[in-house]
Amino acid sequence: MIKIAFPHMGDYHIPANYLLSHIFPNTIVIKAPKITSKTIELGTKHSPEFVCTPFKYTLGTMIECLDEGANILIQMGGGCRYGYYAELQEKILKDLDYNCKVINLVTEGQTNIKRINNLLKQIDPKYSKIKALYYGFITLKMVKYMDKIDDYIRENIGFELTVGSFESLKEEMLITFSHVKSYKELYRAYKRYLKKFHNIKVHKPDNRLKIGIIGELYTIMEPFSNYYLEKELAKHHIEIKRFTNVHYLLFEKAHKYKKYKKYSKEYFTYNMGADASDNIARSKYLCEHNYDGIIHIKSSFCTPEIGAMPIINKIASFYHKPVLFFSFDSATSETGINTRLEAFYDMLEMRKDK
Amino acid sequence: MKECYLGVDIGSISTKGVIIDNNNKIITSAYIWTEGNPVEAVRKLLNILKDKLPKQYQVKGIGTTGSARKLIGLMLKACIVKNEITAHAIGTLTFYPNVRTILEIGGQDSKIILIKNGIITNYAMNTLCAAGTGSFLSSQAKRLGIKVEDFGDYALKSKNPVKIAARCTVFAESDLVHKSQVGYAKEDIIAGLCKSVVLNYLNNVGKGKKIVGPIIFQGGVSKNKGVVKYFKEILKEDIIVDENSHLMGAIGIAVLARRNKTGHTYSLELKNVKFITKAFECHRCPNTCELLKIYRNDELVDSWGSKCGKY
Amino acid sequence: MRVGIPRSLFYYYYGDIWKNFFDSLNISYIESPKTNQEIIDRGIKMANDEMCLSLKNYLGHIDYLKDKCDYILVPRISNFKNSNQTCTNFWAAYDIVKNLFPVNILHYNIDLEKGQTLKKGLYKIGKELNKNHHEIYKAYKYAITREKKRIKKNHIINLNKLKVNKTKILIVGHPYNLYDEMIGKDIIKYLIKNNIEVIYSDKFDSKITNPLSKKLSKDLYFKYSKDNLGSIIYCKNNIDGVIFISAFPCAPDSLANELAMRKLQIPHLNLVIDDSTSFTGLETRLESFLDMLGGSLND
Repeated sequence: MIKIAFPHMGDYHIPANYLLSHIFPNTIVIKAPKITSKTIELGTKHSPEFVCTPFKYTLGTMIECLDEGANILIQMGGGCRYGYYAELQEKILKDLDYNCKVINLVTEGQTNIKRINNLLKQIDPKYSKIKALYYGFITLKMVKYMDKIDDYIRENIGFELTVGSFESLKEEMLITFSHVKSYKELYRAYKRYLKKFHNIKVHKPDNRLKIGIIGELYTIMEPFSNYYLEKELAKHHIEIKRFTNVHYLLFEKAHKYKKYKKYSKEYFTYNMGADASDNIARSKYLCEHNYDGIIHIKSSFCTPEIGAMPIINKIASFYHKPVLFFSFDSATSETGINTRLEAFYDMLEMRKDK
Repeated sequence: MKECYLGVDIGSISTKGVIIDNNNKIITSAYIWTEGNPVEAVRKLLNILKDKLPKQYQVKGIGTTGSARKLIGLMLKACIVKNEITAHAIGTLTFYPNVRTILEIGGQDSKIILIKNGIITNYAMNTLCAAGTGSFLSSQAKRLGIKVEDFGDYALKSKNPVKIAARCTVFAESDLVHKSQVGYAKEDIIAGLCKSVVLNYLNNVGKGKKIVGPIIFQGGVSKNKGVVKYFKEILKEDIIVDENSHLMGAIGIAVLARRNKTGHTYSLELKNVKFITKAFECHRCPNTCELLKIYRNDELVDSWGSKCGKY
Repeated sequence: MRVGIPRSLFYYYYGDIWKNFFDSLNISYIESPKTNQEIIDRGIKMANDEMCLSLKNYLGHIDYLKDKCDYILVPRISNFKNSNQTCTNFWAAYDIVKNLFPVNILHYNIDLEKGQTLKKGLYKIGKELNKNHHEIYKAYKYAITREKKRIKKNHIINLNKLKVNKTKILIVGHPYNLYDEMIGKDIIKYLIKNNIEVIYSDKFDSKITNPLSKKLSKDLYFKYSKDNLGSIIYCKNNIDGVIFISAFPCAPDSLANELAMRKLQIPHLNLVIDDSTSFTGLETRLESFLDMLGGSLND
C-alpha cells in the first residue's frame, strides 16, 4: 500500500493534501504531525552540521511521517541548495533503515510538466492525467485565494476589536476549502469568506506602525521556524507586509523579477539566487513606501540571503530606515528574539513620536 | 511629601535598583548579586532601598527591566515593564542628551545603539554566541590565573598584543592555550584578548553601522581599561565611560516609570506579599513546554512558556 | 591603465586565461598577493559575519586591490548548462562587490543557459578596454589554446601520480580553498612532508569527471561539486584515502560531501576550515588519519 506524506510549510498542507488525495484515490495521504520542538530535534540530530535549517525541519517531519507508516515522501524546492535536499534526505533516511522514496517535484528551481508527469507515474502508473490537471487547477486556485486572504489578514489582524476573530474565521475557511468538490464551489466559498473577513471590525489608527517582512522563503512561510514572528508583531498592533508566498513563487516571481530588476538596478544586476534579488528590490520598495521598518529573517547559513544582507543594509541606511536581521537556527533562544523584537518596536514608536 | 520613582534592573548576574526624583536626580541606589534567584534578590534590594530612602519621599511609580523584568514586574505591580535595550538608551540619554552611539558589552550580551536627535535610530545585538562578552573574558581570566578586575592593567602594559581568533569561544580558547604554551608573555596575551573583543564586537555587532561620536561605552566590560583603550585606538574617537554606567538600565526604567505614573502610591514593604513560582512540564504535545505559573498571595496571576496558548 | 586580478575564487578557474588574454592584448594587470592574515582581516571587516570563508577572503583581495588599479576584474558565473550550476555566491559576487566597494569593475557573465559564454565575455572585456575585433580574437584564441594544454597537462600529471608506489590520497575540494595560503595550503604541505602522494580532485579533466558523478549522485546540479565527486569515482581504485577540504559554511559541500561520505567505501577525513581554525587542531586529525591509512596502528 502506498502511503504518501510531505513536510509542512505554513497552511499549505491543506491544498497539498487536497491535491494528492484526489489524484491518487487509491493511496493514503498521511497528514504530517504538527511541527514541534521534537521535530527539529530529530532533524538536527540526523542532518549534516552546517546545512541550512529547512533541511533539518523537513527531515524531522519526514522521520515522523515514516514512523506513521509513510513510504513515499514528497519534497519541493529549488533555486539554491534546497533543490538538492531530496537525494541526500533519502540517503539519510535509508541509512536509518527506513524504506522510502523521496520525490522532488521541483529541482534547480524549474517546474517541468513532463518531469512531474514522470514522477507522478512512479507513485501510481495508472493515475489519470485529466484528473490531475483538473485538481491541479483547483489546488493552485486554492493557494491563490489562501494567499490573498492571508495578505488581508496580515494588514488587519493587529487591529481586530475582538481578539481571535481573524484566526477562528481562517480556521473555518481552511476546513471549508479542504472539502470543496469543484472549482465553482471553491470560488463561491472564497468570495463568501472574503466578505466575512472584510466584515470583521478593526480599528486602524492613522499613525500605526507598518513593518515589512522579507527574507528566506521557508523561514518566512513556516511560522514555527520563525518563532511565530507575525503573531508577535500583531500583538503589538503592527501592520505587516509580506511578499513571499507560494502563489508568488509559482506564478509571479518570473515576471516580477524583471520589474524588480528595473526598479532597483542601482543595487543589483543579476539574479543572486533564490529570493535574494527580490528582497533587495523589496527593501527599496518598503523604504520608499513609508514603512517604518524592515525585518529580514532567514535560517542560518542561507547563502543567497547572506549575500543580499550587506546590500539591504546599504539601502536601509541610505533611506534612514531601521532593519532588524534574524538568523534562526534550531538553537535560537526565544527570549533573545523577544528582547530584540521589543526593542525594535520601542524604537519605531519613538521614531514615530518625534 | 515628595514624589519619587523606582527602577529595577534584574540581570542574570546582578540586580540593580535606583530611585530618582521628578528631576531625574538619583536619590539613592543599590547593587546586589542576583545569585540565580531574582525574587529573593529583589526582596533584598527593596529592603536596602527602603532603609536608604529619606522619609519625605513617596514612591509614585515602579518600572522593571532586564531578563527577569516580567516576573518582577508582576511581583511589584510595576507600571511599566520594558526590555533592557530601550531602558539603557533612555537612561543614558537622561545624562548625555547629545550621545550618538552607545556600545555595550555585558555578561552574556553585547549590543550597539545608534541615536540621533535624542531618539534611537538603529540597534543591533550579538547574533551567534557569547564570544567576546563578559563571561568569556572572566573564564579566560580564570584560565590565565588572573583576577578579571586586573585585566585592564595587564593589557595596558603590553606593547605587542598577540593575535587571537575570537569569533568563537571554543576556537578562542584553544588558540589561547596554544599561544600561552608557545611562550608569549601574559600581558601580550591579555592585551590580545582585549583587542580581539573589540574587533569581534565591531565585526559582528557593529557591522555596517556608522559609529559617530560622542560614544558611550557601558556594561561590565567597560570597566576593563584595555578594552576601552583598543576601542579608542580602532575607532579613533574618544570613548566616555560613566562611573554609573552599570545603573543606566535601572535609571532608564525609572525615568519611564515617571512618565507612565498612574497616581498609585507604592510601598517598598514586601513582607506581607507571598510570591511563588511553580514550574512544570506540559506533556499534552511533543513540544513539552516548560511552563511557569506565578502566584501572588496564592492567587494565580500569570503563566508563561506555553507555545500553543493553552495556558 | 591597469587591471586588478584578485587572487581568490574565480582566479583558480580563470586566472591563466585572463593573464594570457591580457598579455596578448598588451594590457597591464596586477594580481593581489597570496592570501595573508592582513587580507583575511580586511575581508572579515568588509564581509557579512555568516559568509563563507572563501567569499570573505575574496572580499579581502578586492579590498587590497581597490586603490592599486583602474579596474578590478569580477566575473559572474551562473551555470554551464546541463545541470551544471555554480554556488549562488558565484552568482552574487559581482553585485556584492559593486555595492560594497566604490571601484570600477570589469565584468562579464557566464550563463550558458542564456547563451552567455566565456567567449562573449572576453569579447566584452576586450571592447571595454578599446581593443579591436581582430586583436581580441587573437588574444582569445591564444588564451584558450593555452588553457586546453594546461588542462591536459594537469590531467596527465594527476594520472601519473596514481601509478606511484606510495600512500596516495585524493584531496577533494575547490581549488580556491586547496591552493589558498590561509585555507588549504598547510594541509597539503603537511601531507607532502609526510611522504604522501597528493592527488587533486580539480586537476582532472572535468569533461571526464563531471559525467562520472552520476554514479554517486543522480540529482546533483552543482558543477564544481560534480567535478569533485566524479574524480572520486574516477580514481577510487587507485587511492588509499580521501580528504575533503571545505570552507565553513560552504553550501554545496554541506550536502554533496555528506552524500559522498555516506556512500564511499574508502577511508576519508572531512576538514572544514574557518577563519579561526588553528592548524594545531588539524594536525592532530591529519596525523591520526595517516596512522590509520598506514596501518601502523594495526601492527
